Amino acid sequence: MANGSTLPSPNPAPSLSLRDFSIARITAVGVLGGVLSGLLGVGGGVIMVPLLVLWLGIDQRVAHAASLGAIIPISVAGIATYGAAGEVDVAVAAALIVGAIAGARLGAIALAGIDPHRLQAVFGVFLVLVAASMVALP
Amino acid sequence: MTVWLLAGLVTFGVVAGAGAGLLGIGGGTLIVPFLVLSVGLTQHAAQATSLLAVLPTAIVATVILQRRGVGDLRFSLVVGCLGIAGAIAGSALALALPEDVLRVAFAVFLAAIGLRMARDGRRAMRAGP
Repeated sequence: MANGSTLPSPNPAPSLSLRDFSIARITAVGVLGGVLSGLLGVGGGVIMVPLLVLWLGIDQRVAHAASLGAIIPISVAGIATYGAAGEVDVAVAAALIVGAIAGARLGAIALAGIDPHRLQAVFGVFLVLVAASMVALP
Repeated sequence: MTVWLLAGLVTFGVVAGAGAGLLGIGGGTLIVPFLVLSVGLTQHAAQATSLLAVLPTAIVATVILQRRGVGDLRFSLVVGCLGIAGAIAGSALALALPEDVLRVAFAVFLAAIGLRMARDGRRAMRAGP
């Protein structure tokens, strides 16, 4: 606390290694994340974060970071499949991306120092609100 | 594309990107409803376009988190590469399904996971660090 200015983060994240987990569980998380991502057009983090936290016992913040990285190859596969069907609106996506890259920096910087339990609670409330809005759509 | 639509998309991109970086979910859960409701895309087109917007968001957030020592890139990419076949199968299934079926399944799933995460997070906060 006293030498806080020299610390890299006020709340350092636990380390993570592939060797600590069975390949079957890692495969299950990846495949389920991939199926959900393709099926619903989301990153797949909605299912990968809970699985990484509740099933593999990974710290909440580290799970969010792992999910974001896993989304990279998963979304590429989804884009290729939807793209082959001619469903991707490139102009709309490009406009979203311009804003999202700025926003992602802000969000990721905040994630690096946040309380993981508070984040989990906020994440849960956020998901319920999105679910309610989906049902309320005309 | 009108100037207003362009401005709206960029602004919403900032919100979705920040939520994505903070919550680790890529922003698609926000982007898909927005594209259907406000931009008027079909459910299929919204999902396809969402995935394209999610990709750079995930890359930027991953680079920042790596620099700050949160997570392990090798672990992330192994999980993601194992998910490629699943993503192709899921996308093909979505394209074959009626759009209203997709939407209801999505909402039910999100509510179930969201309630569980909110409950666990609150319980842990009450118990202390």
